[in-house]
Amino acid sequence: MTNTIQIVSLEKTGKESSLQKEYNNNSIKILDGYFFSKKLDDKKFKKISKLISNQVSQKILTKKNVNNILSKYSKFNWVIEIKFLPGVTDNIATTVKEIITDNLKNSFKNFQLGSTKIILVKGSKKDITKISNNEANPLIQTIKIYPYKKYLDNFKKNTFTLEKVKLPKKKYIKKEIDLSISDYNLNLIGKLGIKENDKSRRGTLGLDLESLKTIRNYFYSVKRKPTDVEIETLAQTWSEHCKHKIFSAKIDNIKEGIFKKYIKGATEKIIQLRKDNFCVSLFTDNAGGIEFNKNWIVCHKVETHNTPSALDPFGGAITGIVGVNRDCLGFGKGAKPIANTYAYYLAHPSKKYQLYRQKNNKDPMLPADFIAKGIISGVRVGGNCSGIPTPQGNIYFDDRFAGKPLVFCGTVGLIPRKIKGKLAHKKKANPGDIIVMVGGRVGKDGIHGATFSSEELDPNSPVSAVQIGDPITQKKMSDVIIRELRDENLYSSITDNGAGGLSSSIGEMAKESGGFIVDLEKVPLKYDGLYPWEIWVSESQERMTLAIPPANVKKVIKRFNSRGVEATIIGKFIRKEKAIVKYNKTEILNLDMEFLHEGYPKLNLKTSFPKKKKKIKKIIKNISLIEKLHKLLSSPNIVSKEFVATQYDHEVQATSIIKPLQGEGRVFGNATAIKPLFNDEKSIALSQAAYPQYAETNPYQMAASSIDTAFKNLIVSGANLKKIAILDNFCWCSSDDPERLYQLKEAAKACYDYSVAYKTPFISGKDSMFNDFKGFNRSGKSIKISIPPTLLISSIGIVDKISHLTKITPEKGDILIVLGNTYNELEDSVYKKIIGSEKTKSPNVDAKLALKTYKNFAKANKLQLINSAIGIDIGGLGIAISKMAIASKQGLFIDLKSQKKISINEFLFSETQSRILVSIKKNNVSKFKKIFNNSNYTFIGKCTGSNTIEFKNEKKIMIGKISDFEKSYKQRIKGL
Amino acid sequence: MRVIVLSGYGINCEDETLHAFEVVGFRGSIVHINDLILNPKQLDNYQVFAIPGGFSFGDDTGSGNAMAKKIMINLYDQLLNFISKDKLMIGICNGCQILINLGIIPETSTKEPEVALIENNTGNYECRWVDVKVTNKSSPWLSNITTLHLPVAHQEGKFMIPNNINNNYIGLQYINNKRLAKGKFPYNPNGSQNDIAALTNKYGNVLAMMPHPERALYHYHVPNWQNDIFKKYGDGYKIFVNAKNYFK
Repeated sequence: MTNTIQIVSLEKTGKESSLQKEYNNNSIKILDGYFFSKKLDDKKFKKISKLISNQVSQKILTKKNVNNILSKYSKFNWVIEIKFLPGVTDNIATTVKEIITDNLKNSFKNFQLGSTKIILVKGSKKDITKISNNEANPLIQTIKIYPYKKYLDNFKKNTFTLEKVKLPKKKYIKKEIDLSISDYNLNLIGKLGIKENDKSRRGTLGLDLESLKTIRNYFYSVKRKPTDVEIETLAQTWSEHCKHKIFSAKIDNIKEGIFKKYIKGATEKIIQLRKDNFCVSLFTDNAGGIEFNKNWIVCHKVETHNTPSALDPFGGAITGIVGVNRDCLGFGKGAKPIANTYAYYLAHPSKKYQLYRQKNNKDPMLPADFIAKGIISGVRVGGNCSGIPTPQGNIYFDDRFAGKPLVFCGTVGLIPRKIKGKLAHKKKANPGDIIVMVGGRVGKDGIHGATFSSEELDPNSPVSAVQIGDPITQKKMSDVIIRELRDENLYSSITDNGAGGLSSSIGEMAKESGGFIVDLEKVPLKYDGLYPWEIWVSESQERMTLAIPPANVKKVIKRFNSRGVEATIIGKFIRKEKAIVKYNKTEILNLDMEFLHEGYPKLNLKTSFPKKKKKIKKIIKNISLIEKLHKLLSSPNIVSKEFVATQYDHEVQATSIIKPLQGEGRVFGNATAIKPLFNDEKSIALSQAAYPQYAETNPYQMAASSIDTAFKNLIVSGANLKKIAILDNFCWCSSDDPERLYQLKEAAKACYDYSVAYKTPFISGKDSMFNDFKGFNRSGKSIKISIPPTLLISSIGIVDKISHLTKITPEKGDILIVLGNTYNELEDSVYKKIIGSEKTKSPNVDAKLALKTYKNFAKANKLQLINSAIGIDIGGLGIAISKMAIASKQGLFIDLKSQKKISINEFLFSETQSRILVSIKKNNVSKFKKIFNNSNYTFIGKCTGSNTIEFKNEKKIMIGKISDFEKSYKQRIKGL
Repeated sequence: MRVIVLSGYGINCEDETLHAFEVVGFRGSIVHINDLILNPKQLDNYQVFAIPGGFSFGDDTGSGNAMAKKIMINLYDQLLNFISKDKLMIGICNGCQILINLGIIPETSTKEPEVALIENNTGNYECRWVDVKVTNKSSPWLSNITTLHLPVAHQEGKFMIPNNINNNYIGLQYINNKRLAKGKFPYNPNGSQNDIAALTNKYGNVLAMMPHPERALYHYHVPNWQNDIFKKYGDGYKIFVNAKNYFK
């Protein structure tokens, strides 16, 4: 009898190799372990072992053979046992349970199991600690370290243990909360949460004093005390995450708030100017939608998942990507996710920041490399397992992301215009419709996610806020919705369960019908013992909420069940504008819908002009042009991100047409394209841009540059200038500080100005306002680290014909031309940061001139005059030249005398916006000149086809080998 | 000519796989495994059985294992029956992993796998284009093909073969400029033994391949296709055409 199955791989696995390399230790072995709550007799042990292992490549460990087998690999002396904490999603265990239940049927049931990673090491205790710190996260996992001898003992004596979720017995269904208390005590509720009977607090509600007083007044008027469920629900619904209070607040003299004035305002203005049908669904749904062709709509949404990724990088990132996939599934009647995008803003993985959430070196922040690796693999597993290509992304590094990484995850979706004659992007839950929850079950995971993402990361940040996505459960659910139910028009409305869980999804949908009544005891749970308020706000993943006409309910549920997906009736939508939740017939929530959604106190914000900060000046002298190029090419923000592109499946769905790695030399491109339909040659081009490095100097131009770059990259890739839409993701810091709010207002104003100038609408957006870390450094000093204000602009555009798609690889004989003027704009450039420079300015986007360049480019491209093209962005022209040469493996000759107004450094490294480097065939020069009409371009050289890049000025020629540049450009990022 | 393309539980390449068959002239259906379990007799209507790529059961307990176990208790005999007739079967990527775990490839004699697909040497997922050469030229899937340029995308694609395998079972091998890759990355993207990228059964009518032909169907799928804009199809097309020609 035993309660464990442990499996060893006969050959060294890839993971073992990489661990061995990382720790420079050949004596590391990883075992797959499973711990059961029930003992297995020999027969069951044999049968189950066989079911979950591979007899060719693996061996099963038993009491008898364990030492014999393992001692062949090394003389191990330590064991690290890593298990998920009880209640944390354990996807492998779920699969194993399903295999066992399928095969053993009734002969083995009512058991629990957990998957375990067991790492065997020969090394010092110090080595072991290092490995366990890097391979496990104490927030979601238990880590046991013990001598190998004890491990053998455990085998002999059968003393491996499985920790189960043990929740104390429920003491109440609802709790009345007395709000007639002092301001001090009210504040405690807001900041630390509702007090339990044992005096402990539930965790932050993120409600300020004014909100709590508003709630108090509401309940005075209805003459009763609020229940805990009501307060929790209001906290979720009114959270910054859900209501975007800062964006909607009066700010200075802008009464309607910056969202209405600058973002939505811009789009309304653009729709007015355009007079076409390009915009289909904006700001009202889970994602924004534009026209793809006559029969299809494409939607796009980008989300952030910053705080969860700081606490559990893998879980945070995977939840981020599968979460935004659900935004697509919840767009209209359900769009099929057809591409993922990502952008990570991280601290340097090679540096040790040593930050602590509490004094005396307690509660450390995860190391920067652990965060970076976890985030990269979280999106890998989420995207790859879901069968959604992930072609488009970027990574940026800066010390100021040490307290909080930024993780942007986006998804593009495709939905027919009409389903059975009805517009597919319209949906409405009708009174009488049944509320059905589908997908995963509800557990304690992700409780208080919405309220806490509205706050800074500090010692009180709750740990149960972390969820881990389960892409397969979601894929099964998504298949039923997209492949089967949607096109039969069986449901009236659909939305995803993200932040705030059921409280938010049902609350939102009920706006369509009037109100709702939910019977909360019907919600299927992962384990017993959850309080009703927990069920109501839990953010357990992989769930959608459907509104289904009563006549279709049976059919829908049956279909889900036949595909191995749970679907449960939990209530109904009603006409009356009331939000009602019951638990076993006891009413635990009864609120007016109006108060629930609009009752929150509106903020009144003031801004002030920021004080100038001193900048450190350093200039590296006596360095050649070629050396400068090498330094820049190998710098973390320019160096190739190929290692990410190759681990993200960008070929699935067979739609990849412009790939992330471009040219024979595999340069990491700044735009990609997919062709989503086999029978239409239209493609969707994707790009994104953010310039946090420009934010402190000029937030207005920071936003302008982001919009210009994201827009330009699509023009360069061949998109139709009139069919480009953009998305805004504001990640700000300290948004209660008037100086930060000033920067926010400036950036938002630029959003209006430049999107209107380019007539490119904002179709969706999201903001995250408090990306600050408050804690302590190693010497116990209290510190605050704020991210630089970051505005990610994602762009999505339609390419009308395959022949419009461009490449970045010039051919021998091509003439090289820079489109757009170059100015002395080295401020905040990569060049200035790495090499240094005196007196200079930051980029200033001239929209009128830019648009002229783009229009001419598009015209020339349609006429097939552009042989290759690349957008010039960070690093400047010198980097664009190098990338062209590396991608094509064709030598280039650059005549530095081709322009005279600025210095060579300025010419090659200035980050002046709105520029494109193109190559054209020699015999097209006169046609080109005709289109561009002698304005805003410079002939800078030609493609020689040699193996070098030559730069020539009056005096000399400076030559660098392409293969050397390639080496610098493809240097591995330290720490990753 | 009809093809059945399997779906469900995390398989995710069914649409493009069916499309590739349709382009060469097949008609076909995507069938959820639970529907096939309920009505296995429908297999009689099809000449080709395709298990597409994906992440069935999230690769938990080893890629393809959980799905293979599900097929083993529900559909194994029907699959053997299908193969024993003059019909074709293909498993691509996750489909390949499933066929290997079912023990259908290379020998079909027992229910035990003889070969394993284990984690790539890099310890990471590899999505990249590779060159392969055809070794078993007698397989209907591979006839008249010399080399192919195709993408791979997997975490566990390294063939591990304890007992030496007859060359006749080797469908495809990774190459580096016309010669075998000799295990060298990235030409051999996973460290596969003998540079093996695909295996067949004895009769060659069952092909289990790690690269994705359906993702190299059209010329615009191929990296740097813009250097030669006059081609219509990519190399993957040849595999599907071979299936059509077999029944012609």
